[in-house]
Parts: sequence; structure tokens; C-alpha cells
Amino acid sequence: MTRKPIVFVALAVALTLGASALAGSTRATGDPGITPTSILLGGTVPLSGVASAYSAVAVGASAYFKYVNAKGGVGGRQINYKYLDDTYNPAQTVQLTRQLVEQDKVFAIFNTLGTETNLAIRPYLNQLKVPQLFAASGDTSFGADAATYPQTIGFFPSYQAEGWALGQYMRKSHPKAKIAVIAQNDSYGRDLLVGLNRGLGGGVAKVVAAQNYEVTASDVGSQIAKLKSSGADTLAIFATPQFAIQSYVFANKLGWKPFVITNAVSSASNIMLLASEGGQNKTVLGSVSVVFLKDPTDPKWSKDPAIALYRTILARYAKGANAKDVYHVYGMAVAYATVNLLKRLGKNPTRAGLIAAVDSMNITDDPFLLPGIAIKTGPGDHFPLSQMYFQQYAKTGWKQFGSLVSYKG
Amino acid sequence: MTNFLQQVVSGLASGGIYGALALALVLIHRATGVINFAQGEMATFSTYILWTLTQNHGWPYWPALAVTLAISFAGGFGVHQLVVRPVERGSVLRVVIVTIGLLLLINGAMTWIWSGEVRSVHSPFPTRTIDMGGVAISIQDLGTIGVSIGVVILLGLFFRFTKVGLALRAAATNPAEARLVGVRVPLLLGVGWGLATMLGAIAGALTAPTVFLDPNMMQAVLIYAFAAAVLGGIDSPVGAVVGGLLLGVGLNLLGTYVNFVGADLRLPAALSVILAVLLFRPAGLFGHRVVKRV
Repeated sequence: MTRKPIVFVALAVALTLGASALAGSTRATGDPGITPTSILLGGTVPLSGVASAYSAVAVGASAYFKYVNAKGGVGGRQINYKYLDDTYNPAQTVQLTRQLVEQDKVFAIFNTLGTETNLAIRPYLNQLKVPQLFAASGDTSFGADAATYPQTIGFFPSYQAEGWALGQYMRKSHPKAKIAVIAQNDSYGRDLLVGLNRGLGGGVAKVVAAQNYEVTASDVGSQIAKLKSSGADTLAIFATPQFAIQSYVFANKLGWKPFVITNAVSSASNIMLLASEGGQNKTVLGSVSVVFLKDPTDPKWSKDPAIALYRTILARYAKGANAKDVYHVYGMAVAYATVNLLKRLGKNPTRAGLIAAVDSMNITDDPFLLPGIAIKTGPGDHFPLSQMYFQQYAKTGWKQFGSLVSYKG
Repeated sequence: MTNFLQQVVSGLASGGIYGALALALVLIHRATGVINFAQGEMATFSTYILWTLTQNHGWPYWPALAVTLAISFAGGFGVHQLVVRPVERGSVLRVVIVTIGLLLLINGAMTWIWSGEVRSVHSPFPTRTIDMGGVAISIQDLGTIGVSIGVVILLGLFFRFTKVGLALRAAATNPAEARLVGVRVPLLLGVGWGLATMLGAIAGALTAPTVFLDPNMMQAVLIYAFAAAVLGGIDSPVGAVVGGLLLGVGLNLLGTYVNFVGADLRLPAALSVILAVLLFRPAGLFGHRVVKRV
């Protein structure tokens, strides 16, 4: 009983603060986060915890903004990008995003990483009409729900688009393939499988078996054994890094040597390196995947001006960052698109203006993307990237091949 | 038929891993009467030590494993003396809560020290497979099961024929009387923790080559290991390994032949095993029934 008054006081204080915050926002002129000399963007990424490797997307973007700032910024305004650690936990994403919006008063939420994390803050940001710019996830809903959530836009090709591209590839290059699929049993795995089937388009090549796994599983041995017994000659791996590696390893253990197709998330160079088990596992060689960024480890780009610029920017503005990490390139690609958007907002940037610009993007010169790939949107079309190339894994690493494919949702 | 046998073989391989960690759980339960929720994380930590020694410092496998086991023993002993011993006098719940705290602490520490990146640990066994009538059997998996059985035999001999083993049993069964006959109970409980951590390190070294090492490697395995330990009888080393193998095979067959279980309901299936055993046969398959006068 003695505690009650304290609770009341706390409530009263909270209410007063809330009320004054509301009052503040209505009285202010112009949108939050914009001053004559600066633009404030904010977002969350996992700087610690299991997914901390992805934090490189924020490091790359931040370095690119600093480079732009050193050259005078956008319309005389410096771009400040504040990113906080949500440890990949949606509960923390919500809390930190509220903090960024209500206390730091950011102009827009930018480059928040992950599917669940972005889904968790989407209703809140749309209700307050705060732009949720370039959610770093391939979940199809970020583009498909543009009518319900106009403030939200993703960036990289949707998982359905990736699956579709792989399906098209199989249809053309391996028209008689019998495909077995191992997929994570959530929207990520499902979207890829839906896309794959759509890309195969009822041809002779088809999915003969599909197994999924729960993220809480310890291994996928049983599933791979079952897929092998289906008589398939091709294995599609739509998994997260650890289970992607396991899929290769278990196939090898079973003496199964299928042709492997895999999506971007399952095919990072370090995954392939671990899966090859020091060169013993030959199933890894010849795997086909999709790619849309310039890979800094690919000798093809060693003399490319954009990759040279990338190295310079990283060395100057992100000391100690590993230049081989393609996630940094991703960060710069998305930052480049952002700078392009901000430039179009003119002298008095507003959130409404930003969303209007988001609805009409046509960026064909993002130097960090592979040649020919355009960032394109329209009203109700919030899929900025829908073009990609294929790549095949050789002993020396991934090698891009073939011509550009464009997904039409 | 080939598919059936392949699922059995693959289940035995997973089961060997569950059994190896279950052994560590059983040992701590036998030695100190509690369940250590941090067992999985401690095993992962030990595996990281092995990884650091072999990959970062270029040590050959066996000396690295020996040093890892020694460090694990010391670590387990230290954790007991510093963290568990002060709360041991009160209710069992306090110890359980402390071990849950340890779980979070060690997991955080691992991510902080080694990052969340996936790492590979080499297996001491060859990665070749033998083909028997269309069923692929991996030598690595045979090794895992072999080591688990070997450890059970060693443990049995240790508890039965050595003075320390006898004293450990005495300290666990009746601490007060053991103390009266001159057994240094707190020290021995620490030895129990040390040994269990060592077993955890072995489980980690067996698990990592197939599952691959990251800070959460043992979290999924731990739940299956609990189920295995409960199924086999929480105080029986033989039961732990048999329980692990049965569980591995059972879950694979359930997932393959019962459609609605599939891969999605593996974990609930394991949990229902725990529940069913506790309800209908609390002592498990090989455990001793505890009778208390009230």
C-alpha cells in the first residue's frame, strides 16, 4: 500500500511529459530532424549479439554519409546518422525507435536491420507518419503492403524475387531438374519457395520434395536424408548461415552430390568457406546464387572506380573496418540512394516530400550495385531493387555470370 | 526401407550428441543433486577454447583437447566454489536460478569475446562415410557414439572403484553423514562440477564439427539433452546415452512418418517426452526410484 503514491506520481509525471512532448511537436515549424545545417536520420542494428556481423551495413552507410558531409553535405546540410544497438531483438527495436523518434526527433528511420525488427516498428512509424526508409530485409511484405504502410520501404530484392530468379535459371539451364528444397519454416523460407515455384512456371523442372526446419532445431540431418531419398538431383538451400553450412555438410556425409542453388543470405563467402570443410566437400563447388552488389573480393572489380572509392571511404571514415566484408558495400549502396532522395527534397525537406520522392525513384547510377541494376519505384510499388545477376561458386570464390534478370512481381 | 534405415542412422548421430551433453547433466545431478541450466553454455565456452587453441594458435588437435579439458575442469570447479557454493545451503531453487543467470552471463560473454560469427571446429575422426546397402554411415557419427559409450564405461568404473568416486556419491546422497565420516563435501561437489564441465567440453567437441560453432550452439541441444536425461533416468549415465539415442531416432522417425509432426513439432515432441516420463515413470528407464519417508 505504501507504494501506491509513488506509482501515481510516476504516472502523473509521465502524462505531463507526454502532453508537453505532444504540445512541442504541434508548435514546431517544419518537420523534426531538419535544421538549416543538418538532417538527422536514425535506426537500429545489432551491434552486439548473434547477428552482430550485420552491423557492417550501418558502418558502411555512416562512412558514406561522412564522405558526403566532407564534400559539403546535401543542400548545405550535414547528414547525421545515429544508429543504436537493438541486439536483433524486436522488443528493443521498438523501444529504441521510439527514443529516436520522440527524444532525438529524427527526420526518418533509416536502414534498420532485420525482418521481425522492422515489422515490429512498422505500425508505430506509419501511425506517426515517420518514414521507415530502406528496411534492411528482403521480406516481401515491406514492398507488397505499400498501400497499408505507405511510410515503409525495403531495399534489397525481395525473397520472392530471388526465388523467382533461381527458378528461371533452373528452367532455362537445367530444364529436367528435380529440385529438393530445404527452407526455414517462416516467411523468409516460404517467400523463397513461392518465388522458386513461380520462376519454374510449370515447366518440366520442378520441386519434387520440400523440407523445412525450425530455427530452434539443433541440426537438419534428418531433413537432408529425406530429401536425398526423394531422388532429386538439385538441392535448393533457403536457410540462415548455420543451417546452410549444415545442409552442405550433411549432403556430403550422406554421399549425396546434388547441384546446389541458394539465395543471397545463405551464400556469403564465409559460409561457403566453412561449408567446403577445408576443400573436402566438393558439393559446394558449382553452387549457383544471385547477386546485386559489387563484391569487393571479386578480382573483376579490383580496378573499378566505385570499389576504389569504397576502399578510400572505408579507410578514412571507418577505421579498422574489414574492406572484404560485402555488407559495407551494401551500406554504401543504400546510403547513396538516400543521398539521391534527400537531394530531390529541395530547400525545405519534409517527411511528406520524402515519401513522395520514395514513390518515384529511378536511380540508375548507384555505383555500388552491379552495372545495369536500377533502383526503381512507383506509387504503390515499394520494391526498389528487382534486378540481379547470377553467380557461381568456384575454388577461388563467387564468379558473376550471365545477363541481368528483372523480376516483375 | 533404405530411407527408414537412413533416418535411424541419422537419428543415432543426432542422439549421440544429445546423449553426450545429457551425460554432463546427469553427472552434476548425481554429484550435487541439481540441474545445471548453464551446462550447454559451459560446453560451448569450452569448445571456443578448443577452437581458439587449434585455429588461432595453431595447436595440434590432441594437446589442444587435453588443455581444453584441463581448463574446463578448473573452470567448472571455480564456478562451483565462487558462484554456486554460497547459495547451495538454501533451497534448490536458488541454485537453479543461479545456473540460469550463468547461462545468460556465459552466452553474453561468448558473443562479446568471439562475436556471433559461425566457426568450424575440426573433428578428430575422418569425414569419410561408409556405404552399407545404400545407407550412408559417417565415421564421424560412429566416433561420437563410440566416445559417449566409452565415457559411460569410464564413469561407471570411476564411481564404483575409485575413492573419489565413492566419496562423490556419498557427498551427493547424504552430505551431513558424509561430512561426519571425514568427506570434504564442498570440495567434492566442486570436483563434481569440474568433471561435468569436462564432459560438457567433450560433448561440445563432438557437436561442433557437425552443428558448427556459434554462441548458441548448445541451446537447442540442451533441451534435447534434458529430454534424453529424463528419459534415461536423471541419475543414470547409461540411461543418458540410451535416452539420447532413443530420442534422436524416435524424433527422426516421428518427423518422417507422422505427417503433422514434420520438422516443426520436433521440439514440442521432445518436451512431451519429458512430460510423459515425469508423469508415468518418474525414474526414467534406468534411474533409481527415490523413496522418502514423510
